[in-house]
Amino acid sequence: MLVVENLSKVYDNGTAALKDVSFQVPDGAFLGVIGLSGSGKSTLLRCINRLIEPTSGRIIWDGVDITELRGEELRKVRRKIGMIFQQFNLVKRSTVMVNVLSGRLGYTNPIYALVNHFPKEDRDKALAALERVGLSDKKDNRADALSGGQQQRVGIARALMQEPTMILADEPVASLDPVLAHSILDQLEVLNREDGMTVLCSLHYLDLVQRYSTRVIGLRDGRLVYEGTREEIRNMTDEDFKDIYGQEAERITPGSIMG
Amino acid sequence: MADAPPDFNPSGGPPQDLPDLFTPEETIKRNPIVTGLLALIPGAGHAFIGRSRQGAGYFGLTVVMGLLLYWAQVTTEFEVFPGLWIVLLVVAILFYVFTIFSAVSLAGDAEKFYPRIALILILSFTYLLGWQATEVNLQKFFTEFSDTFDTFSRILWPWNAAIDPIEDVLVVSTPFLAPCPDDPIASSMSELDNEFGAQITLEPGCGVMNEDRTEEPGTDLMLVGTGFVPNTEVVLWWEDPIGEDFRPNYDGETLSVVTDADGNFELAFEAPRYNTPGQAVGIQEHEAVIRQLIDITGYELSENFLLALNRLIITIFQALMATSFGIIFAFPISFLAARNLMWGSPLTRVIYYAVRFIMNVSRSIEPLIWAVIAVIWVGLSPFAGVIALTIHTIAALGKLYSESIESIDSGPIEAVTATGANGLQTIMYAIVPQIIPPYLSFTIYRWDINVRMSTILGFVGGGGIGQILSQWINQSLWSSAGIAVWMIAITVSVLDYASAELRKRFV
Repeated sequence: MLVVENLSKVYDNGTAALKDVSFQVPDGAFLGVIGLSGSGKSTLLRCINRLIEPTSGRIIWDGVDITELRGEELRKVRRKIGMIFQQFNLVKRSTVMVNVLSGRLGYTNPIYALVNHFPKEDRDKALAALERVGLSDKKDNRADALSGGQQQRVGIARALMQEPTMILADEPVASLDPVLAHSILDQLEVLNREDGMTVLCSLHYLDLVQRYSTRVIGLRDGRLVYEGTREEIRNMTDEDFKDIYGQEAERITPGSIMG
Repeated sequence: MADAPPDFNPSGGPPQDLPDLFTPEETIKRNPIVTGLLALIPGAGHAFIGRSRQGAGYFGLTVVMGLLLYWAQVTTEFEVFPGLWIVLLVVAILFYVFTIFSAVSLAGDAEKFYPRIALILILSFTYLLGWQATEVNLQKFFTEFSDTFDTFSRILWPWNAAIDPIEDVLVVSTPFLAPCPDDPIASSMSELDNEFGAQITLEPGCGVMNEDRTEEPGTDLMLVGTGFVPNTEVVLWWEDPIGEDFRPNYDGETLSVVTDADGNFELAFEAPRYNTPGQAVGIQEHEAVIRQLIDITGYELSENFLLALNRLIITIFQALMATSFGIIFAFPISFLAARNLMWGSPLTRVIYYAVRFIMNVSRSIEPLIWAVIAVIWVGLSPFAGVIALTIHTIAALGKLYSESIESIDSGPIEAVTATGANGLQTIMYAIVPQIIPPYLSFTIYRWDINVRMSTILGFVGGGGIGQILSQWINQSLWSSAGIAVWMIAITVSVLDYASAELRKRFV
């Protein structure tokens, strides 16, 4: 269970990105986080693994207050939380293999980093992860030689290396075309259903939210403005979405809401 | 120097904060007569009618013209063609008059007043004076070009000086004692120690040298040779008591003679000029030496070619050492000069500005100046050149490195941090892979520049091939200089190509 209580974030320049946000995510949920650009989705996800320091509030995961953690304890929690990004955030000049292996850094002895060494088991794990995302033949390619969809699958493989119990996905398909978007989200769905990972995924398109999410929260101007279950989402109309999104709401594929 | 680090505005556009000099200023309608009177002070009229920028410009230009006119009159740097000075004066006066007319006309209803006239006057003034000041001489330029042919052709094709013949030389010598012992020696004869049977006889076998302190001529000598190669030149040499060989010199002439058909010759000369050192005691044994070039058995690389090659290798090492020392200092400095790393607190910002300032200053001082300082510091040596290049390299690489840190993608840092990696791991897996390629690229580029620069540093004593090149130029040894020039050119172009190819792989 992930419990977010009264979470607020004010940036140094005075921007209030999150305002008193509270919600709960049961283990094994696929939580869709919706909202316009700048509504605080990225800030929210990054507060959960403390890439961004919250200004106030608490984040309790499996009974541990993540906001209280320091140093080694924080890193141990982080390694159980995989993260994938809109821009993939791979090291473009490094090979696919090294990018995937870097997901294992939370487990390896830091001294190994100086000589770029990973234990044999980790290399085997990385190969297995690449196999799982269907990229084992690309392991020696430079990351930037891959297409966008492939890069995002490397991102997923990197997250798998952490053996996470929760995945934070920040607009994972916003840079991809609709077909690839489904392929990536299908993979996340598998991790969610078969591996039992909790997934927090910010999404932009209405039909993707309806297709994949088991729960939804909606943010507008840093405030939580909507919270709904699977059934409630599926019964939502475009008008309901527009209340959250404003008039710019759109579907990734034109047509009616998918079942 | 041909050093163009890519530190200019990458977008290529002009900086955005340029004052807007080119939009026309609003003219205020004023009384033309008052304006005209004010315009007697250049620019004041324009200021009066609201065109203060234009007025300031005209005022500045008039003042500069006046100062240049004065300078042209008083300078001793060049001969001022008297007519030219009058012409310049007229142009300047015309410009002055133009400014008055311009002000008066604008004060009326004209929107603009022949700005082209101002431009033409300014350009004429500038180029007329510039032509004189730099002593441009087209006649010499075209008619005396042929003077360079000899020098130029030897530099362009120096390779005949790159090889020396290997000579088979017959050397025969016989003693000459100075002064004569109590029992004078009538003649001396060489030992028969060659396969040709060549021998020389010197008469007399003793006497006096032509010494400065006695002011007496040397003993008249007759040298007879037999058994030499026929119809071939023989050359007189002399060996002093300490074994130094030299060719005796008689009013600028050295002595040689061609053997007859039987291989015999005779040579009459005076005992050569030689000052016996004061500490020499008793009778000194000299040797009269005859050398005959019998055959050229082959060719070898000339001494100067090998010297140039040695210095070239030293030069490349100089560049390598300077680049390496430069990296050692520039690497840590680059982090201090990276805006994105140092913008956090006021203290780090102060460090950032201080480091940037020091780097900019040391970079704007040419390596040639650093070399002069380094020569005073460590003396004439390749090390002086290394110091000069190192200082410049630190500043240049520090700047380039810090810019590549500033341009790294923060995404991977975020991603690696999110996996639970610690600081060291994040640097090694998210930052280092991003900065190593540009670092390598810049470093190779810098080495390339350093090789080019170190060839120049030799001219002020920084060692390397430049130093020997400047010596040869001073001695008018154009062929040897040509060898050095070619070596530099070949090395620089090979490195240029190699570094471009290497860098392509890192970008």
